[in-house]
Amino acid sequence: MNTRTRPVIRLLQYAALAGFLVFLAFPLVWMVSTAFKPPQEIVSLHPTLIPNHPTLSNFTMALEESSLVRAGMNSLLVAISTALLTVLISLPASYALVRYRTWLRKVSLGWILVSQIFPQILIVIPLFMIMKQLQLLNSLVGLVLVYLVWALPFTLWMLQGYVRAIPPELEQAAAVDGAGKVRTLVSVVLPLLAPGLVATSMFTFVISWNEFFLALVFLQNPDLNTLPLALARFIGAEGAVRLGPLAAGSLLATLPGLVFFAILQRRLTSGLMSGSVKG
Amino acid sequence: MRLKSVAALAIAMTVLLPATACSSSSDESGGPVKLTFSTYAWQKDTVAATKDIVASWNASHPDAQVELVQVDADSVHDKLVTQFNGGNPPDVIHDESADIHGFAEQGYLADLSTLLSANTKSQVSQGVWDSVTFDGKVYGMPTLMQSYNVFVNTDLLAKAGVSLPTADQPWTWDDFQAAARKTTSGSTFGAGWGLKSPVSAIMSLSMNFNGSFFTTNGDKTEFQFGDAEKQLLARTHAMIYADKSLAPTSTSMATGDVLPGFFGGKYAMIIAGNYNVQQIMEQAPKGFAWKMLPPIKGESTSQAANPQTLSVAAQSKHPKEAAQFIEYYANAENLAKLAQGDRLIPTTSDAAQAVMAQTKGANGWDTMILSGKSLAVAPFQKAEAYPQWKSQIATPAFQQFFANKISIDVLGNQLKSGWQTVNTR
Amino acid sequence: MGLTSTEVRSESSNERRSRGSRQRRQRQQQRREAYLLLVPALIPVLIFSVYPLLNGIYLGFTDSRAGFNRTTHFTGFENYVRLLDNSRFWESFKIGLVWAFGVTAIQFLLALGLALLLNQRLRMRWLVRTLALVPWAMPSVIVAIMWRLVYHPDAGLLNDVLTRMHLINENINWLADFSFALPAVIAVGVWAGMPQTTVTLLAGLQGVPGELHEAGAVDGATAWQRFWHVTLPQLRPVIVAITSLDFVWNFNSFGLVYVLTEGGPGGKTMLPMLFAYNEGFKYGNFGYAAAMGNAMVVLIIGLMAFYLWSRMREAA
Repeated sequence: MNTRTRPVIRLLQYAALAGFLVFLAFPLVWMVSTAFKPPQEIVSLHPTLIPNHPTLSNFTMALEESSLVRAGMNSLLVAISTALLTVLISLPASYALVRYRTWLRKVSLGWILVSQIFPQILIVIPLFMIMKQLQLLNSLVGLVLVYLVWALPFTLWMLQGYVRAIPPELEQAAAVDGAGKVRTLVSVVLPLLAPGLVATSMFTFVISWNEFFLALVFLQNPDLNTLPLALARFIGAEGAVRLGPLAAGSLLATLPGLVFFAILQRRLTSGLMSGSVKG
Repeated sequence: MRLKSVAALAIAMTVLLPATACSSSSDESGGPVKLTFSTYAWQKDTVAATKDIVASWNASHPDAQVELVQVDADSVHDKLVTQFNGGNPPDVIHDESADIHGFAEQGYLADLSTLLSANTKSQVSQGVWDSVTFDGKVYGMPTLMQSYNVFVNTDLLAKAGVSLPTADQPWTWDDFQAAARKTTSGSTFGAGWGLKSPVSAIMSLSMNFNGSFFTTNGDKTEFQFGDAEKQLLARTHAMIYADKSLAPTSTSMATGDVLPGFFGGKYAMIIAGNYNVQQIMEQAPKGFAWKMLPPIKGESTSQAANPQTLSVAAQSKHPKEAAQFIEYYANAENLAKLAQGDRLIPTTSDAAQAVMAQTKGANGWDTMILSGKSLAVAPFQKAEAYPQWKSQIATPAFQQFFANKISIDVLGNQLKSGWQTVNTR
Repeated sequence: MGLTSTEVRSESSNERRSRGSRQRRQRQQQRREAYLLLVPALIPVLIFSVYPLLNGIYLGFTDSRAGFNRTTHFTGFENYVRLLDNSRFWESFKIGLVWAFGVTAIQFLLALGLALLLNQRLRMRWLVRTLALVPWAMPSVIVAIMWRLVYHPDAGLLNDVLTRMHLINENINWLADFSFALPAVIAVGVWAGMPQTTVTLLAGLQGVPGELHEAGAVDGATAWQRFWHVTLPQLRPVIVAITSLDFVWNFNSFGLVYVLTEGGPGGKTMLPMLFAYNEGFKYGNFGYAAAMGNAMVVLIIGLMAFYLWSRMREAA
């Protein structure tokens, strides 16, 4: 944006921005508000944004009853491991899929598509049996592996785009200068891919952080619970929910993610910029 | 991000993770028997009571240790499907009778009739045992039950000059409808009823009029929609559209969602499961005067019994120990604690007596224990294809009926033809 | 560059033969390199994804049902014949298309607007950029519960605000009203999907070279003309990519809607994935449910045929 914009337009832009802000943030704001309300206020017919009698009891309940802190540590461990592993594995794989002409390229496209469309729920039982055979049930390692494979289609798709944006001539120039294949990859390709790697790992982190069903099915030991499982404790039968502690717990669970995003948001968008999915 | 630091972090992760990995498997080579017990208890007091029960069992049974696994109520079924079909289910399973029917048919639950003691068997009424008996075998120990009751805002009823029923003289549906009419004024509706998931409530309360909807002969189950079945449906419809005493928006809400309106004076009365006493006590504004009424009467006060159950997996390696734990869980003292935590009716006579003794019948407990006597198995609970009929056919059809999109005769036809479609076995 | 230039000279047949074998060796070495790079991904994918996927697909041709020691038989196309007659399934497929198109289109337009705004030099950009990611920070179960609270007929924020603004005088049960349920649920779907679309589009926008804009301005083009003739064409590959991905993901989603409405009222928000899940997990008909899954794969791939065809050509 290099041209000056008229003040009226600027005003409209800020108004639109405010509109978006309200739309995107108000469920979060409402969750904050609910987290500090005593049960009587949550069911009031005229909900107020600011609680009339703010209380911290929801937070104590959430922390005490659902071992939120430990669940948070588990989630963090799983999400970071998944993000790192997925990126480490899909980086060479997507490079290979772009730079080398193999039949695997078409097959991988087919697999990416079908795995995204076919109902995941129907894959769970055969997957469960495999995990049982490999003794990976009820372990965070097993969960990371499942998440890894679940995230791979998207990361391969994304990273292929970024790799494609790197001109092959750069690599060839390095080869002419006498660099071996590995050195070329590390010193030429990798730095250019860094922003894309940040974006991909962030996305993988997010989907592992929030995932519920696979964690529910593959984990058993309550010490291994991830955050979504811990929060589900407050959900009862027939739609009954203990809203106060649930809101408090969800708030605590959401904050780390938001802080993470706030720090990385600049990196993220400039990361996706260099030759994203350019078709 | 330098490659080296990334790699170091990755290695650290892969080293740390196995340290947290922990797989539980029953110890085969001597040593204590390990049982897993999955429960969906979620009320604060019930969870605490369950943990206490497991802890005290473990302390007194060093040779059979129970590991408690908590699942949220909505996920119980899905997790069990995966675990059963994957071959790795928990030993003791907390579920409810409507759900275990399917698993029993699929052969995943152990027959408890040989594993439970005669004393336990004598504690529970036959009508309730029948709700967990399929093909002559008992597949679950019934523990806690709920009934549908009317909750009233006593101030609003007093203002309208409506007198409350007593245990010996409960309201009939006519009385209820009259009371609703009297208390409807201004912005207040006489009644609110969360019928978003309508089938269970309607099927259960239709037993008041002997509306059984299904008859089973051998292994053939037929659907019927006669006058008895139409009674409750027609009365409810009349309340919404003729009397205008039952709030139309309430019928599309979930059962608990009517509570805000109840507290705010929008509905003078509500029909809800009796366990809502817990929610009401926690959430009602100060000074809110309410009462839970004895079960409403049609031709009788019968309602369907759909108890919570404890079952043993057929694939369990230690069914005897599992059954022993179940008996311990359901003994008078423990069951009484659980009942009070969940605000549900205990199935055993000993536990019911214990609850009465401990609470002295206060806070609606006298009504609740009384309600328990009206609960017995209903015919629809025996129909094998009922779950599919319930969620695919009946739920949308009932929702359309209460939204006045279809007439009662069209409803009957949809239900009947729907049953013929799903009942292919 | 150096390597790609070839000197033109005539080759003797010996040189040609040795060049041929050198090329063969080069290609062999290349293929080995490729496989080496692919192996770490291949192994977990084969075990944890391809095998269960193939298993799931195969189930669609059997009569597999839940049950202890039940034997499964191959039944060929029987499930699909049954499926053709299943009007409930097709009804839900239709709803799935409405949902997926609705959510994807609205999401795209809103995200594009937001991305354009965030691309401007406005103050508090960092705050909005962070808050644009809020839906990502919450598990979908929590998202659904919070929105259910907002949509609550008696105690919900939406009815309260609308009543105060005198837009309605009677509370509406948004999630259970036969006309409003699907739009209400679509609104939540749009909200939940904003982050990935906004972020991708914003990145695409930042990839549009500034010189192109300047050139357009110098030529006297208005902001709108610049957007339409410069920005959009540059953005097209990104748009096509993210909208088709969004479409597939949206069509496949069901967790959100399950908690919001369970497919009601009267089946008005019964998404096909929810339908298949009920069939498989609630009623235990694994084979029939898998057949539904297969049908959906074929139909969706068919719908996206054009876009896919261009991707396949690229992959060749």
